[in-house]
Amino acid sequence: MNTFIMANPQKCIGCKACEIACAVAHLDVSVSTAGATALPFIPRMNLVRTPYITMPIQCRQCDDAPCANICAEGAIIHRNGINIVDDDKCIGCKKCMVACPFGMIDIRPKISNGELESQNGLRIQTAEGEQAKEVFVTYKCDLCSGRKGGPACIEVCPAGAFTTMDHSQIITDIRKKRLAAALDIANNQKK
Amino acid sequence: MKFSENRIYIDQELCTGCKRCSQVCPVDAIEGKQGEPQSVNTDRCVLCGQCIQICSAYASAFDQDIAPREQKLSERKLLPSVKEPLFAAYNEGKAPEVKAALADKELYKMVQCAPAVRVAIAEEFELPLGSLSPGKLAAALRMLGFNSIYDTNFTADLTIMEEGNELIQRLENNGVLPMFTSCCPAWVKYVEQEYPELIPHLSSCKSPMQMAGAMFKTYGAQVAGIDAEKIYSAAVMPCTCKSFEAARPEMNSSGYRDVDAVITTRELAHLIKDAGINFADLPDESFDAPLGTYSGAGNIFCATGGVTEAALRTAYEVIAKEPIPNVDLEFVRGTDGVRTAVVGAGDIELKIAIVSGLKNAVSVLDSIKAGKTDLHFVEVMTCPGGCINGGGQPKLLLPADRAVASEYRSASTYIHDSSIEYRKSHDNPEIKKLYNNYLGKPLGDKSHHLLHTKYTARR
Repeated sequence: MNTFIMANPQKCIGCKACEIACAVAHLDVSVSTAGATALPFIPRMNLVRTPYITMPIQCRQCDDAPCANICAEGAIIHRNGINIVDDDKCIGCKKCMVACPFGMIDIRPKISNGELESQNGLRIQTAEGEQAKEVFVTYKCDLCSGRKGGPACIEVCPAGAFTTMDHSQIITDIRKKRLAAALDIANNQKK
Repeated sequence: MKFSENRIYIDQELCTGCKRCSQVCPVDAIEGKQGEPQSVNTDRCVLCGQCIQICSAYASAFDQDIAPREQKLSERKLLPSVKEPLFAAYNEGKAPEVKAALADKELYKMVQCAPAVRVAIAEEFELPLGSLSPGKLAAALRMLGFNSIYDTNFTADLTIMEEGNELIQRLENNGVLPMFTSCCPAWVKYVEQEYPELIPHLSSCKSPMQMAGAMFKTYGAQVAGIDAEKIYSAAVMPCTCKSFEAARPEMNSSGYRDVDAVITTRELAHLIKDAGINFADLPDESFDAPLGTYSGAGNIFCATGGVTEAALRTAYEVIAKEPIPNVDLEFVRGTDGVRTAVVGAGDIELKIAIVSGLKNAVSVLDSIKAGKTDLHFVEVMTCPGGCINGGGQPKLLLPADRAVASEYRSASTYIHDSSIEYRKSHDNPEIKKLYNNYLGKPLGDKSHHLLHTKYTARR
């Protein structure tokens, strides 16, 4: 079973620090200050705000992943327990975006070596002549694969709102629920 | 009295009501319910900008129902070329105004930079946190088109001459003690509104920025051989309250508004990027004499304890009439919110308190009000750690980087101090010349008129 990250809307204060930490963690250059980069900020999670709750939503790392199953290019692969996008294969067709039941796949400009990558063929026609067009690729949560210190969102959250949901954690929770259910039934029978 | 419209804003479209700003606000000026956009109580707010530094509610690519970026940049009076993410808490910029002045050939443009700018601005150009860059800073200002690259560090030295002598005068004449520092405009506003009965404790010295403003359009005009009316006086500050200070109606002792525009460290980075200047590759250049020559003492004003250390380097020698045994006064440095020290000079034992972070001033002020202290000198910096962590400094994206930046900016400040030929304000040759040729003596008539000020009770 795939591990995923989930936030607790009861704890979330809606500060968006997770989105920022996520965007910074995935830039392939080191950026410390807000003014240091002209690159677009591309978080792989989104803080959802309603009048009642705030809560970041991110990829659930589906075990039967609609995004991967619909991808004609085979660009979403399963590696070390995480569903990961292969940027080189992705053509930005948006099928995964539509298929994701959580809405947590996005198509955004591709950044490599600290710069926006341009397409080889497709150009933009403008009044000032033809201009380079950026490469767009799929962005989704990769659990900060390879990052020292683990997922950046968990590390930065001032409210401790995130939990890593892994198999053993879910099994432990389920066992507790089964035990509670059994005791509940037994107690009711005594009455 | 009507003060200017300079204030801190919270963008109602972007604020998520997480209230982290209210946790760092030293004066409980941020109002609103959890989960709802907050607002700033401008009567209480001291414009320190710590809310701006902590705010993480930015305009995300996911936000669809908000005003376009171009509109927000224009509302915030930022240059249209600014690329950085926009956050809910902000101060209004002055960079477009400064850019227009730089393009105006009729004006003679003088600029000053606070000490904290040179230990932080490089961060906006992907250089390591706390990189020391006074040479690149001077070069960038010259490339931007300023005619005189002057320095707040020079008038920090001048502040020491005036404030050190004011302290000695208060000690000798049974004046009001302890004397409070007056270089932090947020602290001054705080005393005016929360402790007006303690106003006589504030040093009558203007801040280094305002002293520079007064000198530019008088002595500076004389040195340049131009009409003061033609001078455009700009200041680059780590501070969001300095705009407010510059707009105080009494800050016109040169006969003009002394400081025409204040921009933050971040806004100077915007101007440099806007002009296409590659800051990281600039060669080192110097600040201009005479109003840009400084001592190490002037440079350490930006770290907590720095004003005290600079003052002691001079006051010790005036009182004891002998050179200070060691200029590095490590015992006043540090990061604790309240630090105290006793310094022997001649037959006087100076009792000093240093406050870092305005919240920590309350206990000191209350004991002074109750007559329970025998302090002589109190330094207060509103921002924790001093101006190096001011509201106008480069904004760290990750909270974990804040402590690192603070440590490195502070370290660079003292490294720069120890590398400068003169370590004491009274040794600065241009300060000596200024007194000989223009001001006369510290606390003299001309100083009184140009370099000292009065305060306003705000309740």
